[in-house]
Amino acid sequence: MTPERAPLLEVRDLVAGYGAVQVLTGLDITVAEGEVAVMLGANGAGKTTTMRAISGMINRKGTITFRGEALTRRAPDEIVRMGIAQVPQGRGTFTDLTVEENLRAGAYVRKGSGIEADLEEWFGVFPRLRERRSQKAGGLSGGEQQMLAIARALMSRPKLLLCDEPSLGLAPIITQELFDVLKRLNTEQGLSILIVEQNANLALRIAHSVFVLETGSIVASGTAQEISNNDAVRTAYLGY
Amino acid sequence: MGHLLQYILNGLARGSIYSLIALGLVVIYRGTGHLNFAQGEMALFATFGAWWINDHGFPLWISILLAALGAFVGGGLIEYSLIRPAAKKSPFAVVVITIGLFQAFNSLSGLLFKGAATGLPFGTLFPDAPSDFFRLPGGVIWRYENIGVLVTVVIITVLLFVLFQKTKIGLAMRMVANNADSAKLAGVPTNKVLMLSWALSAAIGTIGGCLVAGINANVSLGTMFGVFLLASAAATLGGLDSPIGAVVGGLSLGVVESLVTNYPNDWWGSTYIGADTAIAVAFVIILVVLLVKPSGLFGSTRVERV
Ligand SMILES: Nc1ncnc2c1ncn2[C@@H]1O[C@H](COP(=O)(O)OP(=O)(O)O)[C@@H](O)[C@H]1O
Ligand SMILES: [Mg+2]
Repeated sequence: MTPERAPLLEVRDLVAGYGAVQVLTGLDITVAEGEVAVMLGANGAGKTTTMRAISGMINRKGTITFRGEALTRRAPDEIVRMGIAQVPQGRGTFTDLTVEENLRAGAYVRKGSGIEADLEEWFGVFPRLRERRSQKAGGLSGGEQQMLAIARALMSRPKLLLCDEPSLGLAPIITQELFDVLKRLNTEQGLSILIVEQNANLALRIAHSVFVLETGSIVASGTAQEISNNDAVRTAYLGY
Repeated sequence: MGHLLQYILNGLARGSIYSLIALGLVVIYRGTGHLNFAQGEMALFATFGAWWINDHGFPLWISILLAALGAFVGGGLIEYSLIRPAAKKSPFAVVVITIGLFQAFNSLSGLLFKGAATGLPFGTLFPDAPSDFFRLPGGVIWRYENIGVLVTVVIITVLLFVLFQKTKIGLAMRMVANNADSAKLAGVPTNKVLMLSWALSAAIGTIGGCLVAGINANVSLGTMFGVFLLASAAATLGGLDSPIGAVVGGLSLGVVESLVTNYPNDWWGSTYIGADTAIAVAFVIILVVLLVKPSGLFGSTRVERV
């Protein structure tokens, strides 16, 4: 957990919203290479908006730099190609497509070789998905769909994975399993991850750094340790 | 019973055409949720185009292919220049645009092609001499042309199936149809996919238009009205977002139409029951199906808003 890692994603002065409604009013975050960063924040604070702004899904101003390249003006497909994959809030599964097709869909930006090998790799990590590879994704349980959504995002071979409230609607035990997987992806594969969570206790356990978002800007940030010791954050998000 | 089979075979030919126009509607609807009210008139315009090329001495099949190619390009351009900007405003704006296009293509056909109002002679790709038919048991005949039309629809359906299920472009189209946001996040250039949907739809419509004109041996400004009505009914019956539903819907409505127009004539020897009654019966059937199964026969359950 050295804080001296090279920055992977740098967001400065990010402003974004919907039409006339400004949601983000100058947001700064930095995700370092190889770390798990967590963004905490109440409902409606702008967490999803931040994720969508990074992925190029909504208009935004400010600077977003990824591996030294500016991506504020790039379209979503270019951003995926640069190495950022997002698991959207609510999972965004292609419900009418089979499990295997969902994974191939995730590899849309890639060409030919390696896709089959990656399929096998993720079927190895998520054996339940292999069992259901020919079934429509809409028939999977919530936990399975979340695993599928993560595997699908990983099929694009991202450097940075964005996960928007992965625990939403899942049983605690499934959520636990999910965070174990995310932790393993980080430690074993060196994948950098930015997770949006409301379940702060759980997220802090695997986080290196933490950002606290309140109504459109970051009000506190630091290492997981620092944030856990911050009294204001403790009362607001950790409940003790 | 000989009559029944005869009427079914006749109905399948017209039904094939409904299927093609319905397929065009479905290809667009899946991607965008838009109903292209101009589908029939775009096909009509392209059919006049095929007539024009043919009139300049090109073989009919080449004329039809060229017209379909032109429609492919034109369909893409329409999406890019009219539909896309309108869709940014509101879904209602798109409806207005497609209704405007309906009018525009009909008027343009009338302006550009002399004699379009009364009708221009249109050839057929299939043998259609009076003796060109198979004799089936019970005195039933199956005309080569009717077989040809049906086979054309089957081939196009199979090609579409292969496109959707076996190619990367097809996968992208299904991704956009199923969840446009997620498709974007996966790196699909969704705008290009929508443009392709319109292009493909216009090309399919052209084949449909040329087949109707072939069967009628004539193309006029009114050729596509009834066809479009039944085709949109067929697409609704099939579920709006299901290609196979469009084909099944189109063929069944063709058969229903044939039975409803022919049997009363046989029984009562009158001709007062015509195409209008067929359309009315078709819509009653659709109403009943949608009451029982709001998403249509083959539609995904997401399509319940119509
Ligand atoms: N598509 C939208 N159009 C208009 N306002 C939106 C839209 N999505 C979200 N908002 C508003 O933006 C604010 C932030 O939303 P969001 O980023 O989804 O919050 P969070 O993910 O932190 O719960 C909320 O006030 C919400 O109502
Ligand atoms: Mg959210």
